[in-house]
Amino acid sequence: MAAIAQPERVTATPTYREITRDIVATLGHPGRLYWIALGSALLVLAIGAGALLYQIRYGLGVAGYAPPVMWGVYITTFVFWVGIAHCGTLVSAILYLFRSAWRTAVYRTAEVMTVFAVLTAGLFPLIHIGRIWYAYWLIPYPNQRQIWVNFKSPLLWDVFAVTTYLIVSTVFLTVGMIPDVASARDRATGWRKKLYELVSLGWKGTDQQWRHYLKAYLYLAAFATPLVLSVHSVVSWDFAMSIVPGWHTTIFAPYFVAGAIYSGLAMVVTLLVPLRRAFKLERYIHEDHFENLAKLILITGMIVGYAYAVEYFIAWYSGNPFERSAFWNRAFGDYWWATWTMIVCNAFLPLLLWFRKIRRSIPAMFLISLFVNLGMWFERFVIIVVSLSFEYEPFAHGHYTPSWVDWAILAGSFGWFFTWFLLFAKNFPMVSIAEVKEIIPMPRRKEART
Amino acid sequence: MSDSWQMLEGEGARINRRKFLKVLGVAGGGAVALSGCAGEPEKLIPYLIAPEDQIPGVATWYATTCRECPGGCGVHAKVREGRVVKLEGNPDHPVNLGKLCARGQAALQGVYNPDRVRSPLARTAGGDFEPISWEDALQRVAERLGSAERGRIWFLTGNEKGTFEQLVREWLSAFGSGRHVVYEPFGYEALRRATLDVFGIDGLPFYHLDEARYILSFGADFLETWLSPVELTRRFTASHAFQNGSMGRLVQVEPRMGLTGMNADEWIAPVPGTEGLVALAIAHVIVRDRLARVPADVSRIRQVLDAHTPEAVAGRSGVAAETIERLAREFTAESSVALPGGVGSQHSQAHASAAAVHLLNYVAGNVGRTVTFAPGYDPSGGSSYRGLADLAAAARNGEVGVLLVHGANPVYASPAGLGFAQAMRQISFKVSFSRFLDETAREADLILPDHDPLEQWNDYEPRPGVYALQQPVMQPVFDTRQTGDVLLELARISGGQAAARFSASTYRDYLMERWRQIQRQVGARGTFEEFWNEALRRGGVWTEVRGRGASLAAGVSRLQFDAWSAPEGSLTLIAYPSSALYDGRGANRPWLQELPDPVTKVTWGSWVEIHPETAARMGVAEGEFVEVSSEAGAIRAPAYLYQGVRPDVVAVAVGQGHTAFGRYAEGRGVNVYGVLGAEPQEFGGIAYYAAVSIRKTGEYERLAKTEGTPRQLGRGIAQATTLAEMLHGEFHPEHTEHAAEVPEHIEEVLEQWQERQYADWRNRGNYAGEHPRWGMVIDLSRCTGCSACVTACYAENNIPTVGKAAVQRGREMSWLRIERYFEGGNGEPFEARVIPMLCQHCTNAPCEPVCPVFAAYHTPDGLNAQVYNRCVGTRYCSNNCPYKVRYFNWFDYQNPADPAFAWPDPLHWLLNPDITVRSKGVMEKCTFCIQRIRGAQHRARMEGIPIRDGDIKTACEQTCPADAIVFGDLNDPDSRVSRLALDPRGYKVLEGLNTRPAITYLARVRNRAEE
Repeated sequence: MAAIAQPERVTATPTYREITRDIVATLGHPGRLYWIALGSALLVLAIGAGALLYQIRYGLGVAGYAPPVMWGVYITTFVFWVGIAHCGTLVSAILYLFRSAWRTAVYRTAEVMTVFAVLTAGLFPLIHIGRIWYAYWLIPYPNQRQIWVNFKSPLLWDVFAVTTYLIVSTVFLTVGMIPDVASARDRATGWRKKLYELVSLGWKGTDQQWRHYLKAYLYLAAFATPLVLSVHSVVSWDFAMSIVPGWHTTIFAPYFVAGAIYSGLAMVVTLLVPLRRAFKLERYIHEDHFENLAKLILITGMIVGYAYAVEYFIAWYSGNPFERSAFWNRAFGDYWWATWTMIVCNAFLPLLLWFRKIRRSIPAMFLISLFVNLGMWFERFVIIVVSLSFEYEPFAHGHYTPSWVDWAILAGSFGWFFTWFLLFAKNFPMVSIAEVKEIIPMPRRKEART
Repeated sequence: MSDSWQMLEGEGARINRRKFLKVLGVAGGGAVALSGCAGEPEKLIPYLIAPEDQIPGVATWYATTCRECPGGCGVHAKVREGRVVKLEGNPDHPVNLGKLCARGQAALQGVYNPDRVRSPLARTAGGDFEPISWEDALQRVAERLGSAERGRIWFLTGNEKGTFEQLVREWLSAFGSGRHVVYEPFGYEALRRATLDVFGIDGLPFYHLDEARYILSFGADFLETWLSPVELTRRFTASHAFQNGSMGRLVQVEPRMGLTGMNADEWIAPVPGTEGLVALAIAHVIVRDRLARVPADVSRIRQVLDAHTPEAVAGRSGVAAETIERLAREFTAESSVALPGGVGSQHSQAHASAAAVHLLNYVAGNVGRTVTFAPGYDPSGGSSYRGLADLAAAARNGEVGVLLVHGANPVYASPAGLGFAQAMRQISFKVSFSRFLDETAREADLILPDHDPLEQWNDYEPRPGVYALQQPVMQPVFDTRQTGDVLLELARISGGQAAARFSASTYRDYLMERWRQIQRQVGARGTFEEFWNEALRRGGVWTEVRGRGASLAAGVSRLQFDAWSAPEGSLTLIAYPSSALYDGRGANRPWLQELPDPVTKVTWGSWVEIHPETAARMGVAEGEFVEVSSEAGAIRAPAYLYQGVRPDVVAVAVGQGHTAFGRYAEGRGVNVYGVLGAEPQEFGGIAYYAAVSIRKTGEYERLAKTEGTPRQLGRGIAQATTLAEMLHGEFHPEHTEHAAEVPEHIEEVLEQWQERQYADWRNRGNYAGEHPRWGMVIDLSRCTGCSACVTACYAENNIPTVGKAAVQRGREMSWLRIERYFEGGNGEPFEARVIPMLCQHCTNAPCEPVCPVFAAYHTPDGLNAQVYNRCVGTRYCSNNCPYKVRYFNWFDYQNPADPAFAWPDPLHWLLNPDITVRSKGVMEKCTFCIQRIRGAQHRARMEGIPIRDGDIKTACEQTCPADAIVFGDLNDPDSRVSRLALDPRGYKVLEGLNTRPAITYLARVRNRAEE
């Protein structure tokens, strides 16, 4: 591992130099905890990969599908990860446009999370289709067979939405990292120096470079912002465009976007708490940041809770017997436990965040974020599985229970995500050096000299 | 793979490519020329020199006879490239007029069953079986026959009415024995005895259901297994379907509502065993009130009738006196018939019940009109359980030297208390002619496997006047020989008197000899050659035997009319024949195992039907194993809560619980014979009722049933009305989204939007008129729910069977399913409705736009096509299908190397060569039998003639015994389907979704009693 300067003393307000030093220090020699974490992530990933190979060999029947529930854990998890991916763009792009200073300490984590979450999410449509070896048929490419894709299908929109999002968020992340990587480059040796040289694109920190860079970043932020709304709207149309009771509703796009941001924020908290501890970043990421995140979680959580209420209200108010029984079944049918898990975790627990004490308590935030993650996974499960299990044709109602393969692949997706995340965290600065520097008070001449 | 199968896979027994080509080539020589020869084919005929009557890709059809049950329906076997690939009813045959039931369709899985005995087998010292040569096998039998004492050779057969029976008798007498026992587990001993008692006639009655407007059935399951179900279904529908503003009425009096009960307009559940008393009480009212022109000799049973007043019977039977009076009035108001209990309602007093029903028919003047008699008619071939019991007793006493068994499996299908297996072990030499290693064959010393009925020459007389021929439709799949030939050969080897007795050298010659007599009997002119060829072509010869009337026998006044009753505090077990597996002989056919029971929708196993009240009292939930124990023994099976049984009744189907009989049958469910009493009843049969107690066990199983929610939830899927409503024009199909709930101003917009969607398709030329628009009408007043169409669909469309575990997860692949919904109950009259559900081929199909790769698309003639090759398996189409009629290949059912392979060798020979088998990961669904549509279109184009309405029949339509399904072109205003679609009963399922299905259902009509 390339040598990196060790952190020294920590003072109340960091200086420019301390910032660079502290943050670059996170790229230092990995400790035992890191290897254990990375090892477990790889192990879980290997289990998931093994389960996937088994599934490809024998067919999707090894998963728990029980018609009419044709989509199960995989699509649930797909939407879950796509949702998580939304927070990154929100924090980095939208808050950037709104000039929220507090974002600087957390946005890198959020962005990294976004890229890897999309990377994870993108696997699931492949895992879930019957013939994964023909997945490329979903891409409209000119071919001798003269067959084309069906642009009416929301699934195709999905292909575009998710790939667009992956590309844009990756570009946004790498561009945002340029000055920081350059800082790391200046301190790194060996292969890492080469890597950083490549990623920093010859950054020297000249005025001209800064001028161009900030324009480019602003432009990218403006470009990425609509994606926050569009990507998850498109994902929601996978459902809303169908005629399945419980799916076919106009509320889905805003409801899903709010839910996505909500879950993404929770995931940011889940990731930040241990990260902050492990990398000793308490000086840069402190209660204020969590409080701000908590406020965002609170507002999006209330939107989600409102959406739940509206869904039930409309199901009743529309008088549509299919909608009515679909929602009755959600709350009191076979899967009542999933529904109530979702409602409690998503709509009620976050109300605790009305209390300032809780917003500023890092353990409490961590706990709540875990529940929100769980709740949001169940939200997708309820929407997908419960709606499908209780559709129009009563005789064809069914009951779905995931099999070990479903669970293994779900776990494997976390393994996949965390493998990337951990590798990234040890090789790239997880807090933006350049932007943190922007928000601390201008140093006095004397201090600056030291 | 079972051990026995591995064992059988010796050198030469395997079907390899070489043997396959031999079959292919020789069958080309034409089945007529095959004769009964069982040896190796003489020469290979390569396709380079094409056989004249075999064109690759063009099917040859042979007429033969279905032998899956005593019904004896005529069959046309579709043979492609030397292999039979589909069975369809013979339209000329008087029994079934072109229709077949599920069991008939599944006969294909008999001939290609992977668990067939592939060569003669002999028991070794170690108790296993080893393959031996036919010469060796015949020599061994001949030696034993030679050394057997006179009169100690016994022959046990199933129902073999026809030439084979005659051969067995003659053969036995040639060997100096007359010990021929016929055993069918579901014999008609009780009905036969009652007919003899009441009318002095030895033979069963004909019931002319089509001529009766009012059918009062005392437990006869005539739509499932009773007498000749396909024929009776047709006759029933002729009377009972709603047509031209009228329909007949069916009242079912039975303690357990079976499929026939589900089709009844009224279900009356008496105390089990008292049906006969109810019949007598009705007769009492008829005589008392002079409701009919009562024959004079009824005075001889005056005493009996006087004793059975409605009030007296009401107390015992639980049927209210007013109901009895009403039934009597209804029964005499129009042409009527009363049917005595089927074998599913056979208790120790079954003969008395049947006699009571005979008397009721007699009193009402039906005898000679809707009930006639043809002496000698017995679709169980004179079967007698007492005969079997005598055989077992003789075996125990060492009086049986040699036992030959053909077409019967009493070790499985007789009460455990009889101990037939133990009795067989007392016999020193047992020969079985079974095609399968069933329980009885496993007890044999030598197995000489017979040809499958589709591979053999034979004939069968399902009823007097109908002589049905069987001819081989293909070369034998295995090294088997026809038992008739084996018997003749044995006689020849034995020499002496036995050899001299038979002039025919093959069974085919023997058969033709008898058919010379038949020619004389039916008075056919011309040479025998012409007669024979014509009979082969038509599938047999038939004369109309109407049957005659009868009058009361002398001893009628001495008859006793007791009711069977269970001891206080115990429940009554009703063991009824499974409509798919019958007496268990269908259990090794995966199609029949996977066919949901028409009542409970359970597959691949047994269940105990328990009334929810009884279950609640015991704390039993669905799927919990309960132990049902009688004096004779106990069985354990999961509970199925069913309001169609009385609270004091539990019911279990016969047919499962095999300990042998191949991979599909073994170790599945329970054998209900374990709790039935072994003592032959007074009438000589088995009592299928037993007094039992039940106990919960606390163990659970998820029932492998295909049903989700058994209630319609007010969604108007299977709609029904009453005759009164129809006559007053008050019936309007329900719509799930009522117009009243749509605001007026929206309504217009909605309509415009719907029209626009429709126009969208029309503008593309899809429905512009130059193409047909294929559509279907399904008449629910005809559909009985028998499920023949389901199995026909499996056979036609290469649908894989998936097994129990998959069905438990709802992964059955059945493109066409019969949905069964319950109505009422809990105090209200309990009813069931059925509706066949298949792809609706919607005009605005929700499955199509959601497919990202155009695997689901719309053909110009309105079909909802699925391109298997293009499908990547997103399954969105299925999510978006409101009818849930799309089926996904979860496993690689078509891959011989995969554990899920659905057609183990040689079962894959039955695959329809016109259809692909689908690989894992793709969606499939009903195609409206597109191969038949395109086939007919190609033929029409080549011959230069247009397709006429009715030329194209889907597989389900073709086999439907009730003619409930009509397929055709909706763009042709004169087609049957177009005209029927305009019926006022017509509705589309989930019409409110604007899918515009191509299938119109005609609501069921119930002929309710006038209030």
